[in-house]
Amino acid sequence: MTTVSTAPVPASSRGMIARIEPFMGVLGPLVMIVMIAAFMGVFEPTRYFRLSNMNQILLDAALYMPMAMAMTFVITQRGIDLSVGSVAALSAIIVAFLMKQYGFPAWVCVFIALGMGGVMGLINGLVITRLKVPDLIGTLAMDLVYRGFALVLAKGLVLARFPDLITEIGRGQMFGILPTPVVIGLITMIAGYFILRNTHFGRYSIAIGSNPEASEMTGVSVDRHKVYAYTLMGAMAALAGLLLMGKLNAIQATSAPYFNLHVIAAVVVGGTSLFGGRPSIVGSLAGVLLLSMMINALVTLRIEFFWQSVASGVVIILSVAAYAWLQKKDRDGAGSIGAALANPDNRKILALALTFVAVLAVLMIAGALLATAPAASG
Amino acid sequence: MRAQSRPVISMRGIKKRFGGVVALDGVDLDAFAGEVLAIVGDNGAGKSTLIKILTGVYQPTEGHVELDGKRFVMADHSDAISNGIDAVYQNLAIADHLTPAQNLFLGSELTRRFLGLEVLDNARMETEAKEVLRSRLGVELRDMKVPTESLSGGQRQAVAIARAVRHKDLRVLVMDEPTAALGPQETARTLDLIKSLRDQGLAVIVISHSLDDVFEVSDRIHIQRRGTCAGVVNTADVSVEDVLGLITGAKAAAA
Repeated sequence: MTTVSTAPVPASSRGMIARIEPFMGVLGPLVMIVMIAAFMGVFEPTRYFRLSNMNQILLDAALYMPMAMAMTFVITQRGIDLSVGSVAALSAIIVAFLMKQYGFPAWVCVFIALGMGGVMGLINGLVITRLKVPDLIGTLAMDLVYRGFALVLAKGLVLARFPDLITEIGRGQMFGILPTPVVIGLITMIAGYFILRNTHFGRYSIAIGSNPEASEMTGVSVDRHKVYAYTLMGAMAALAGLLLMGKLNAIQATSAPYFNLHVIAAVVVGGTSLFGGRPSIVGSLAGVLLLSMMINALVTLRIEFFWQSVASGVVIILSVAAYAWLQKKDRDGAGSIGAALANPDNRKILALALTFVAVLAVLMIAGALLATAPAASG
Repeated sequence: MRAQSRPVISMRGIKKRFGGVVALDGVDLDAFAGEVLAIVGDNGAGKSTLIKILTGVYQPTEGHVELDGKRFVMADHSDAISNGIDAVYQNLAIADHLTPAQNLFLGSELTRRFLGLEVLDNARMETEAKEVLRSRLGVELRDMKVPTESLSGGQRQAVAIARAVRHKDLRVLVMDEPTAALGPQETARTLDLIKSLRDQGLAVIVISHSLDDVFEVSDRIHIQRRGTCAGVVNTADVSVEDVLGLITGAKAAAA
């Protein structure tokens, strides 16, 4: 028998970036966490690093942990779920009604909510796998459907004051010091880590995202495991809905508007590849913490609430771009602006951009010159 | 070269139509244990369709497959695998982000009980993967923990082959263009692998466009031409020109 010897690439020749690449999922958010901490340490050390504020950051992060865990599986399979906010709101609204109007016991309602969320996720999965609607459109449309049902049910009502169990889930303390939602969030994260490493579902999620055709050929039931991922996502969104309802002790149809992008941002910042096959549960946890720290920092700095949206978007773009750059094999030849301008395509894009700037500048000047005294609107 | 006179697997009068197109028109094929059978032919000659029928991916319109001389019907590819017939596809069907061991067991993972739950037995899969690669293929991977995408073309091929030969009862291995994407050195290694699998008593069926490789590794050559078998020859008895003549139709079947 012939022995085929392998020639491993020596680690030293692969360069720094290649060596740290497997750990980027955790390193990236950690570096950014340290940067935020350093920044806040300079500008607002007393208010940011107060124990109560640290607690606040954790409480905020806990809300997103279950969803980030489930979204890690969905994105690893090359999927996406844009309906999590509505699933959270609708399942919370449903059990809120069951408790307030029909007197259902709270502990039953907790499980009803999880089941409702699971069913909504299951529907998402069936829309994508059976009706062959692309995940982006399918979950976006189902987001409208679920939000619509929530509005139909609750109208403009704010449902408030729930049994103790619900508020305990949302803002209670365990063992005197640990906030209950943080414990719940961390448990889901640990469960996610275990599922990813040690179950068929976890293994097949990576395989499906890595190479769907190969998975099909080797006998992996691709559609079934996609449905599982969306079902898990739905149940975890419902759990987040419960956490939110308990935290605020109130719920309304328009609750949880920014869940989708926030959760996807946390997962992507954490190093899970949007192109599938590369999960990082630990990274997702770090991503959730990072986003909560960032938003808390904006609040602490008394920056207007609406800037949060800008900041989240910028962080998503930066992190995805950074991972895309790391994935690029050939990093030579880029970098200099002169080299980029040598490419005719780039020159045409630049010309287009400059044209827009020029036209807008002319319009602004014309508008300013022709301006009359503004009339009161309405 | 034949270890036994009866073929392990044979195809009799196979016809396959796709709508109005006749892809195969009455093809016979025999594969013996301990023998490499090469299938050559031009594009569209029906090579791929033939092996897809052999591996249960397609069902023939007419004709049948015999296993050990007994008629045998496959509903799908998994029927083929459970009867000891497996294939290594040209694209290898490997998930690049999984480790070699995870790929080797993809779709049929080993499990153990943990707190009453059925969980993956990652440690055992890694040991067994290592063992299969070493003992059956003579391949030692330095690091079993890296994603398969970081391996060389030949190593990836070895992982794909190992997935098929892992089954102890594997008897027929079909390989579609095993050397198409490989450099000269990796090609030589893969051909050595094929020979060692043959010496282990497998019936190996290789589809290839490279006549150099075919003459290097095969015992017999089955030439497909326009959906029919243009001839089956013993590799030792013919020259490359003879085979080329049969492929292009410039020469009628001599055998």
